[in-house]
Amino acid sequence: MTSEAAYILYVVFALGAVGLYFLLPNPGRKSAGVGAALGVAAVGALLVFLSQKIGGRGEGSGFFYLFAGIAVLAAGRVVTHRRPVFSALYFVVSVIAVAALMVLQEAEFLAIALIIIYAGAILVTYLFVMMLAQQSGSPVYDVRAREPFAAVVAGFILMAAVAGRAGDLPEAKRPATIPVMQTHTPDGLAPDDLAPGESALGESTLGDPVEFEMESHTLSIARVLMTKYVVVLELSGVLLLVSMVGAIAMSRKVVPVDPNRPAPTPLGEVGKSVEPF
Amino acid sequence: MAGVTEYIILGAVLFAIGLVGFVSRRNLIVMFLSTEIMFQGVVVNAVAFARYHRQLDGQAFAIFLLVIAAVEAGLALGMVMWLYRRRHTLDAEAWSAMRG
Repeated sequence: MTSEAAYILYVVFALGAVGLYFLLPNPGRKSAGVGAALGVAAVGALLVFLSQKIGGRGEGSGFFYLFAGIAVLAAGRVVTHRRPVFSALYFVVSVIAVAALMVLQEAEFLAIALIIIYAGAILVTYLFVMMLAQQSGSPVYDVRAREPFAAVVAGFILMAAVAGRAGDLPEAKRPATIPVMQTHTPDGLAPDDLAPGESALGESTLGDPVEFEMESHTLSIARVLMTKYVVVLELSGVLLLVSMVGAIAMSRKVVPVDPNRPAPTPLGEVGKSVEPF
Repeated sequence: MAGVTEYIILGAVLFAIGLVGFVSRRNLIVMFLSTEIMFQGVVVNAVAFARYHRQLDGQAFAIFLLVIAAVEAGLALGMVMWLYRRRHTLDAEAWSAMRG
């Protein structure tokens, strides 16, 4: 990225930061409309900047700009909406837009996993806690942001620092074979029990050039997870178990012992007083 | 097809929006929703680099990120319920005595 383009990007970010500042909840300010206009203008300017200065005009890029715009606008609404339930619903919109971007990046499995885990499991848990703990009306902590100016300045600096250097990447070291589009049949999955020239469908392919099925994306990512990252995979399972135990231990309720409850029968006494079966 | 630079910038924007929300909102639930937005930015970056280098390691990282996000959501919401039972409010400022 040229330095001129980086400065344009900083200006766009500053516009968005000002819009975000005006959109953050503050009861004494009536300028949410200005903030919304600034925010939408900043997102539009960002998309125009990306399409003009960075390049990327080609097949499928229109979908990138569409879903990137939806994701950023919905994310902005998540952090600025005064009612947490609406924040959660805008978060679903953002997740679905990001999942669409994953599809554009040839990560179909990850797109489906994002929707199932985020929009399904995590979001339902959030809404459940909201129903349990949300107070009626708009409590003061939802309509007054804490240090919005400092927060927006910190976010702007981080954004500018990361994105300003985004174009200076070294050339990618691309392997000769492309893992996602591998066309060979991997060992172990080859139909060994078939005679040469016989296909699984029973038709003779003798003499024809052998055509192997293109390996699906889910299969190739499973291969990476189960070979290279198998220890990490097992560790993440342990992590999930530990967190489940921790969450249960943290949120359990101590119930006082009922004084009228009959004393438990001592061990070994059940069979003496009660017919077993 | 959009290149990796656009995705990095998008990831940075999502991360920064999440950071602003986490620092400035006072509702505990919205604070943790903001961390999920930050996770989204990181996932976008990881997948973009996976495609840039034509390797699947980035996508594997993104799957582990999903695991971490699920763990974080479970623990954080358990903690939110615990805090709510103690003070009967979701205000993070109610616990500002922990600042020291």
